[in-house]
Amino acid sequence: MAKAIRSLQIRHVDAGSCNGCEQELTALTGRDYDIQRHGIDIVASPRHADSLIVTGPVTDTMALPLERVWETIPRPRVRIAFGNCAIGTGVFQRAYASHGGLADSDIEIPGCPPHPETALRLLSEWMTSHQRNRQTYVSKVTNLGNC
Amino acid sequence: MPDSWQQANRDHKAAHHELLTLTASSDRCLRTVWLNPFDNQLSVAEMEITQGCFPSLAVNLPETAWDEREIHDMFGWTPTGHPDLRPLIRTPRWPEAYFPLRKSQQMPQWLEVEPDLPSLKVEGDGVTIMKVGPTHAGIIESGHFIFSLIGENILHLDAHLFQNHRGVEALLEDTTVNEVAPLVTRICAADTVSNQTNWASAVERLAGFTPAPRTVLQRIILLEAERILSHLNDLAQIPAGVGFQVAHQRALALKESWQRSLEFLYGHRFLFDTVHPGWTRSAPADLLLNSLANLRRHWVPWRQLVVGHHGFADRMGGIGQTTLAQIDRFGAQGVAARAAGKTFDARQSTAYYEGFFTGPVTRSAGDVQARFDVRLDEVEASMQIIESAAGQLEIESPTEPEFLAPKDLSGRIVTFTESPHGLNSHDVTLSNGNVFRYHIRSAPFRNWPLLAQTVAGNAVADFPLINKSFELCYSCTDR
Ligand code: SF4
Repeated sequence: MAKAIRSLQIRHVDAGSCNGCEQELTALTGRDYDIQRHGIDIVASPRHADSLIVTGPVTDTMALPLERVWETIPRPRVRIAFGNCAIGTGVFQRAYASHGGLADSDIEIPGCPPHPETALRLLSEWMTSHQRNRQTYVSKVTNLGNC
Repeated sequence: MPDSWQQANRDHKAAHHELLTLTASSDRCLRTVWLNPFDNQLSVAEMEITQGCFPSLAVNLPETAWDEREIHDMFGWTPTGHPDLRPLIRTPRWPEAYFPLRKSQQMPQWLEVEPDLPSLKVEGDGVTIMKVGPTHAGIIESGHFIFSLIGENILHLDAHLFQNHRGVEALLEDTTVNEVAPLVTRICAADTVSNQTNWASAVERLAGFTPAPRTVLQRIILLEAERILSHLNDLAQIPAGVGFQVAHQRALALKESWQRSLEFLYGHRFLFDTVHPGWTRSAPADLLLNSLANLRRHWVPWRQLVVGHHGFADRMGGIGQTTLAQIDRFGAQGVAARAAGKTFDARQSTAYYEGFFTGPVTRSAGDVQARFDVRLDEVEASMQIIESAAGQLEIESPTEPEFLAPKDLSGRIVTFTESPHGLNSHDVTLSNGNVFRYHIRSAPFRNWPLLAQTVAGNAVADFPLINKSFELCYSCTDR
């Protein structure tokens, strides 16, 4: 039976942010927004995570460490671009050491930086509208051996 | 010339001047700009780089060591006699002949190798190496730290930063005067008003334009509002470093309420895009004072909570100590410097702060506690500055002169402000309405090497606490 996703355990990677996006992510964990009551949390290890949240335009120096974190997250997993820079519409898009944002994101949270309320709404909406398909879940889990 | 270059810069240091910028430009001009804090005059030392080399200042002036490494990385010119010429910003992925700040460079083709650089470690019996980063177990900016430990204590820290290097200065060099503001605003969210103000005053001064008194008052208010916001953030993080969750969460809530006020007053939670050449976003004085009164209502009991907590004081006292001698040697700036007794705050050298700024807040212990306390007092001083500036707003005429930057604006200028992190300078060269060179030197760039020195001898478990008490920004260092 298909079900709405009820929790997101997120690993955060800063890939060249101006720190505005980080500060708003931190605000989400504070008592005014309290993302935990929505089943969302920022976790300390990619191995405890089922999603990756990226801030910043993806600098060249962070590109490989970022993909390594992604590889370590068990499947199924979700890629979230937080803020215009990560989405690929930020002001540093054309800078030489910028890779122009996170490729292949599943969720985009726009803003410079995104308002915590917007972020919370978009994440909750995505969780309710997405059905975790048992079939994919089982078949993808067998890939786990590699990481 | 080389001798006089070194001599001139040594003389400035000996006279206790503050180094605003040391940088090069693609026309092979090497330049330092010093501020004399006693008469607020700027002095320039210059030399031409010939045959790709220039004499290093780093042995006598350690605070220039990183600036010279940066020039080496970005232009490919060598500071001869530099004691540590490892790459600072470049990684092994950079094409060999790629020097981003030389003109007419193509976009680089990155090499398919790891970005890691060789690290400086201690070797010997009982030494453990602990690597942290570049990705971290929380919501933190990226940085790579290589600790050499003996038992629980730190012997040496090799901090590899610049993971967040986007190439902002090179990007700015591609722009016209009208395109700069949105980029400068976003160099660093914590120092955005300071960066915006530096850019606005650079353009205004090059154009010979004097902003209206009302505009200046609004800038003072915005600069202080930003200081309160950034200090609240840092004051929230320090208790988190010792597990004092109540103080942490309540400070985050204070910060959130201040951000909501800023959004209401100025349309942005971090004050992005509020200061422009010629004009500044304004807020009505009565609403501003209401927001401030609201903040104070929650601030006072929070301050009582943190200053009256002996366990918290015990965890901060004597941890991560710096001396005034170290501060001078590294040219450290901002809260970290004042917490060890340095009596410099760039606001004292900023003409428009006259009558508002009552002098630097200092402590002498140079430890986590002192850095925490300096921030507490600076928040209150900023509240007072906003109150008196808001009071004056009422009596200033509401009309402001129109300003349009001349299409062919040219010239070179250095502007600075005291950002929440300390002395923040921009060295701007415009040519015919285009940016020719844009250099940003923020206080954390000077303070990072000091932090690495400070943590030696401390327990590694206290690193997060010491780090948070310096609260050095990565984005304005890495650019
Ligand atoms: S989207 Fe805006 S706030 Fe976020 S990192 Fe980019 S510039 Fe900073």
